[in-house]
Order: sequence, then C-alpha cells, then structure tokens
Amino acid sequence: MRMILAAMAIASAPGLATAGVEEVVNAHILPGFERFAAASSELDAAATANCRGAEIEEAFHTAFDAWITVSHLTLGPIEDMGLTLSFAFWPDRKDQTGKALARLITDGDPVVEDPAAYADVSVAAQGFFALERMLFDAPASDAYACALTRAIAAVLAKNANNVVAEWSQFAGVITTAGEAGNARFQSEEEARRAIYTALSTGLEFIHDQRLARPLGTFDRPRPRRAEARRSGRSLRNVEVSLRALQDLTTAFRAAPTERLDAAYSTAFDRIGSIESGDFSGVADPGQRLRVEALQVDVREIQIETMNEIGAAMGLSAGFNALDGD
Amino acid sequence: MPTRRHVLAGLAAATALPRAGWADVGAPTHLTAAKDPDGAFALYGLRADATLAFRVPLPARGHAAAAHPRVAEAVAFARRPGTFAVVLDCASGAVLHQLVAPKGRHFYGHGAFSADGAHLYTTENEIDTGHGRIGVWSRAQGYARIGEFSSGGIGPHEILRIPGTDCLAIANGGIRTHPDAGREKLNLPTMRPNLTIATGEGAVVAVADVPAEMHQNSLRHIAARADGLIACAFQWQGDIFAAPSSLALYRGGDTLDFLGEARHLGRTMKGYAGSVAFSGSGERVAVTSPRAGLLAVINTTSQDMQTVQQADICGVSPGREGVLATDGAGGVHRVASSHSRMKAHALAFDNHLVRISSG
Repeated sequence: MRMILAAMAIASAPGLATAGVEEVVNAHILPGFERFAAASSELDAAATANCRGAEIEEAFHTAFDAWITVSHLTLGPIEDMGLTLSFAFWPDRKDQTGKALARLITDGDPVVEDPAAYADVSVAAQGFFALERMLFDAPASDAYACALTRAIAAVLAKNANNVVAEWSQFAGVITTAGEAGNARFQSEEEARRAIYTALSTGLEFIHDQRLARPLGTFDRPRPRRAEARRSGRSLRNVEVSLRALQDLTTAFRAAPTERLDAAYSTAFDRIGSIESGDFSGVADPGQRLRVEALQVDVREIQIETMNEIGAAMGLSAGFNALDGD
Repeated sequence: MPTRRHVLAGLAAATALPRAGWADVGAPTHLTAAKDPDGAFALYGLRADATLAFRVPLPARGHAAAAHPRVAEAVAFARRPGTFAVVLDCASGAVLHQLVAPKGRHFYGHGAFSADGAHLYTTENEIDTGHGRIGVWSRAQGYARIGEFSSGGIGPHEILRIPGTDCLAIANGGIRTHPDAGREKLNLPTMRPNLTIATGEGAVVAVADVPAEMHQNSLRHIAARADGLIACAFQWQGDIFAAPSSLALYRGGDTLDFLGEARHLGRTMKGYAGSVAFSGSGERVAVTSPRAGLLAVINTTSQDMQTVQQADICGVSPGREGVLATDGAGGVHRVASSHSRMKAHALAFDNHLVRISSG
C-alpha cells in the first residue's frame, strides 16, 4: 500500500469524461490564493506596526491557515517560480532554519534592511517556519530581531502576491487545456491529472510527514518533530489541510463520493478528540492511540480518494514513478 | 592478443551476416523501450524529430538498451532482476541472439558496447556474494560469453564507454539485493556506492567513492561528454527531506563534485534521479525525476538551473539542441533554451532514452 500511495505522478488511461478543472480553479484555487495573498499582506502590515505581540501572532495564524489552504497547489506558479520551500521549509531535520537565522543574527547581517535582497538569502531563513521561530521561540527583543521579523514577513507577502498575479494568468492556461496553442496542457486529461496529483500528494504529506514524523515508533515517539509545534499549530495544520483537500475534492468530483465523505467525517471527529495541539501527546500511550487512529483515518481518505476520484477518472499511478530504477 | 586467425575469423563472421546500418532502419537517433496501448512491450527507434523509426517487439517489460555503434543492432535488457537480454536486428525485428545470465547471476538492466562494437559489457549481480560483476560477450562469436571481471562494488547499474577511449565507467549503486527478496534492499546501513573506471579487460583505472556522510546516495545512472566528463545521478535511500544533491560531476581522480546544493536539488527531485544526460553541446547536464515530475538542467560551469515540470518524465538523452526527454504518457520533449513537447505518442515510454552514437 505504501508503495502504491508513494508514487504521485499519474499516467494516463483513456479518459472518462469529467468536468472539474474549471470548478476547481474557480471555487478552490483562485479564492484560496486571494485569501492567502490578503492574509500575507496583513501579516506584513502587522509586522510593520509591531514586530511582536498579540496582533502579529494573530496575523501569523491567519496567514498560516491561508497558506495551508493552498500549500498542496504547487502545480503551476509556485513551482515555476521555485517558491515551494520559500513559503514553508519543513520538514527540517537538520535544523537549517535555526542555523540560518542564528547566522544572520550573529553576523548582524544588514541584508534584513532590504526586502529585495532578503529574498535571496537561504530559503531556510524565509517563510512561515522562520517567522515562527522569531515569534514563538524565545522571541528576541532587540532591534535586529525586529528588522529580521519584518524582512521575513515582507518577502513572504511579496511572494504571495506574485503567486496570485501569476495564477490569474495560469488559470487561463489550465482551463484551456487541450485547445490549440496551449503548450502546457495538451489535453484536458492532463490538467485533471495535475490536479489529482496535487490532491493525492497533499493527502500523502499529511499521512507521511505531518503525522508520521511526530509519531515515530511506539518505543521512540518524536514529539519535537511535529510541524509548527512552536506555535502549537501541529494539529491545526492537519485539520486545515484536510478541510482544504475536501474542498478541492468537492469541486473536482463528477459524482457523489459517499465513502470518501464518511472517511473525512471520521477524521474530523477524531481531531476533536486529540488534546495536544502540538502533538506532544504522542509520547503518552493513551493520547498516542488517538493520533495513530487519525493517521489510519487519513489512510482511509487516501484509499477512498483513489477509489472514488482517481479510479473513476481512469487515472492510475505513473509508469516510471512507480517502477523505480 | 588476438591472433591473425582470430581477426580473420571475426571478419568472416561479420561478412557472413550482413546487417543493415542505422540509416537503413529509418535513421533513428535514439532507442527506448515502451509499453504499447494494448499492454505489449517493444523497443522503439526514435528520430530526431520525435517520430518513430521502427518497432521491435520485446518479450517483457524492457529497461535500457545498448545500441551497436555501426550496425542496426541493439541489445535490450529486461528490467532488473532480469536474467535475459535480447539482441535485436532493428531492420527485420528478428531476435538474433538471446543472452542468458550465467547460473547464480542476474542482469541489472544496462550494458555497453566497446568502441569497435566487438564486445558487449553487462552489469550483473553475483547473487550468493552480492558482488558486482561485468560480463563480457563477443559479438563475433554470436554473443557468446567470453569473460567477466569485478565491477568494483556492489549493485552495478549503468555502464558506459567513455568516448574516445576503451575505458568503461561503472555506476556501482552500493545496494545489495537478492532475487528471492524481490527488490528489497539488504544493506542500507552499510552501503557504499562508487564510480569505478576500468579498462575493457577489467583493470581498475580509478575509483570515486560517494562521501561517507552521504553513503546512502545510491549512484545509479551516468552519462559521459565527448571530453570524458562524467555526470552521475543518484537515488537517496534516506529521509527525502534531508536528501543531498542528486547530481555530481566526475572530472577524474577520486572525487565527485555535487551540483545544485544551493538550490536544494536533491529535495526538489524527491531524492530520486531516474536518468541523466548532457545536452547536445555538452554545456549543460539534465537529470529527471519521475517521482517529482521534474527535469532539471544545470550549466556545468555556472550551475545556473532551469526546471521543467512534466508528469512521469524519465528518459533523457543529448539532442541536436539541448536534450531530448520522454515521459510515461508518450510525450517526447525538447528542452533547450525553452521547453517544447514535440510529439505525444500513444505509448508509455520506459525509464531510459539511449542515443545511438559511434563517438
């Protein structure tokens, strides 16, 4: 099962008629990116007003929610512009974010005074996880830390707005798949395949990274590997991303998906039963069981997505991606 | 040392079996295995304009092929751990010979010809010991096995002849497998991949080990430029979010120079490079990742990087301009200063695209 789910490039089978691309773009993608850009601009404004405190923390959470809502949509502008890691450098097993920020702070690097220049520093020192360090991990109070916080927020907002601008173009490309002159998507099926890949990759990321990393093994749980644990968002990121992927599914599907809907319901109920928002409970045998159960729930969602969305569209896993060698 | 009689015998054999040249089979520039829409497997010749020059049926799913430097003859390998390879007459489609791995051995899916086309070299696993072996086969003797030597490591995968020389470059992936355990990897904690340069007789000329701190970066595929520069493509066996670069250059000596670290190339490629090739001019080197749906092209001196997103892209080879690449949905792509899909065939192209060359 792991092998089957691991391969995310999708090869074609003769396409079954499905709509979906335009619905996904209009109901899910474009509104999601507009919210993300607006929330990032507000975060930037909050940082300018006060580089620490309740206001910027709230703006941080709102913008992070908005990012999680679109983070699976790397197809198109985000990857074309090479921005995936600039928004979110996680997992970060070697603590590259901590090291990159420490280097800037130790050197008092003046690059923080110029947002255009800051966009070129290591991506590990950019985006939400760098900002989280500045705001929640023993926040420093000096002027340099403040300038650094503002630089991270400014670049993040600029990148988010650039992505939205690009998406207004790219939306035209993906919704005219298969039409004459469209070099990117030579058939509508290709566009559907790209969206399905985003959906299945997003689910895989929740199962294999957001949940599997902190769970570790029963004998060796790894709560400190939880995503965004410093801001207590680990569980929230799982919930927000599942809601976003369900939203995508609703726009994308051509027929009702009863079993998939039930699988999502089970997962959301489970989330309500988990106490530790930062997954620190994985080290406690009783609480751990619930997080493990949530991981199984997500696996069910993955399986029903393959059955009720993928198979119904005639999509199967990639010829080369799956084979290896 | 071949005697006069051997030479004459070889000539006689070659004359007795006249073979069409590549021009006679539709002038393909590249070879690739593929799956047909009806599920059958075949080896295809591809022309420079991405059209199909010929189709020769294969008995099972193919992996890579070795093109004879002069005559329209190709050796198609089964995907590992296969025990057979077939020598195909690309003009008639006839199976001229079947290579069967000796008892206790299996092929890894790649092979290479000597410069004169007289010998074929195959990468093999000595199953009981896990040692990598290079099999030597004689074309003049009907592809009889005439010898073998150590590959210089465990799990040799791709092998190529360094242009302008009779030396072989061997990618020892470092991973021990046993056919009884399928493709299960048996030695990940201790694996140590290397690039071995050897003569056609098996004398080791040089060895470049993968550095200890990234010993789980399995060297699988290699490409050579006309001047002997070798590009190495890797498959990371550890945490993909900690993947080191998937691409290195070998300029001689015992070191590998990794590229793209600053751009997090390994992570972007999901730690998995499927194929590697230099561009037609040799200025740039391309790696593909079917798992990431990505082709990355990097300038060998400036390290400037360009990426192209394409689902299930894997085969890549030098083109007249830039590189030519194939994907699992039948697309043939040219990536030069820009990316264009030249053709979409109703085929699933397999991992490798092999250039026919006599360099």
